[in-house]
Amino acid sequence: MRAVVYRDVGRVEVCEVPDPEIVEPADAIVRVGIAAICGSDLHFFHGKAPLEPGETIGHEAVGVVEAVGPEVRRVAPGDRVVVSFVIACGDCWFCLNGQTQLCEDFRNLGAGIFGGSLGGAQAELVRVPVADVNLLRVPDEVQDERALFVGDILTTGVYAAGVAGISPGDTVAVVGAGPVGFFAIQAARAGGAGEVLALDLEPERLVLAERVGAVPIDVRARNAQTAVDERTGGRGADVVIDAVGSAPAFERALDVVRRGGTVVVVGMYTSEVIPAQIGVWWTRAITVRFAGICPVHAWWERAIDAVRTGEIDPAPLVSHRLPLEDAALGYELFDTRRATKVLLRP
Amino acid sequence: MALFPSEEWITLYRDLINGSEEYREAGRTWEGDIAFVFEAEPDRGVAEDLVAWLDLRNGICHDARMIEAEQGARAEYEIRAPYSRWREVVLGDLDPVKGMMQGKLKVRGDLPNIVRHVRAANELVHLTTQVPTEFIGAG
Repeated sequence: MRAVVYRDVGRVEVCEVPDPEIVEPADAIVRVGIAAICGSDLHFFHGKAPLEPGETIGHEAVGVVEAVGPEVRRVAPGDRVVVSFVIACGDCWFCLNGQTQLCEDFRNLGAGIFGGSLGGAQAELVRVPVADVNLLRVPDEVQDERALFVGDILTTGVYAAGVAGISPGDTVAVVGAGPVGFFAIQAARAGGAGEVLALDLEPERLVLAERVGAVPIDVRARNAQTAVDERTGGRGADVVIDAVGSAPAFERALDVVRRGGTVVVVGMYTSEVIPAQIGVWWTRAITVRFAGICPVHAWWERAIDAVRTGEIDPAPLVSHRLPLEDAALGYELFDTRRATKVLLRP
Repeated sequence: MALFPSEEWITLYRDLINGSEEYREAGRTWEGDIAFVFEAEPDRGVAEDLVAWLDLRNGICHDARMIEAEQGARAEYEIRAPYSRWREVVLGDLDPVKGMMQGKLKVRGDLPNIVRHVRAANELVHLTTQVPTEFIGAG
């Protein structure tokens, strides 16, 4: 089959690799209809996470079940499905308690040794372990392109807003209007937020945020704290969602949250360090919720329902639709921020 | 009228500090230089961060001037906020110690030491109101 493979830092190519096979009885093979390039694929693309030359990449995909192992019960060949980017066992204490991102056997597609050496989804076919857990059937009325992001970024946005405890009328500030922020904005609005403020420095992202109902705040042109204060009677936002994952973004989130407010950290952190005036945080009675990786399985049914009802619209995010063979171009466009989201069709 | 902040403003301010009996007494046990960072608000005419520096020891201001941002990072204490927040402080609309505890003014350094010197801090704020001040983008 044809698949996107990592060659070297900053270089992917599409080439012929062996078809995946059913390895374990709970596996399924999915024929990929559409795959997407995710921000976390860029960690591998930049060599910041380990991927060996020749390994396949990608974890966002929607497609049709081609084959299943003998233990698979919930999906069958011919079913249209979306793939979870978290590959969970479904059987450990964490999985059974809805925290699949903390699974004892946590794996990722297309993440090399880091993700359990599973093949990538930017390919014609992908093997999905524990298919009953890691595949979600797509309702007939939801087209592939609308379902695709339910396996990752869309549900991550829903999760961020969901754990924030948004009360009706709350002002929610989303720091970072990238793909996850884009969906967090919509989920916050659907969750009853009064006003959603989108803080970013990329004009294109702010345009997208405004299209889905946020008030755009260009933090290069305005001081974020002052801008948020102006819209909240000087208090700050009731809820802030950090959808970036950088020390300045986290500090910005703390700057714009009101006393007694909540900061949800859904952006990805690795080794960042900041000085913390814990006494000030304590006095301000801030709740900081490190959301971690999204436990997709616990949230994706409500996420796809929000897509089905139109509460969440993924369409404006997609800037490029390319054949799989043009994956290298897709990576270049996404990496240089000339694309907001690139879809690859095998 | 001196533009806040500027070399002219900070010099006038230094002279007021050194003429204050109240500060000399309240700041007697204070030792440490402070960088005040006035964060950019491009839409209000403050294009980039501005930093004022005071060398305050034993009730005396030994030096005071505008400095570059990277020099400010070396100060023992740094207090930062958007420019308009500082404007509230200078106009007496925001109590700086409360502002620090509420996160409106961000402190790097030993916050409890600042709180222990609240009388000195209050006098420093009071003295800012004595400087004939003009604000950037004031309307």
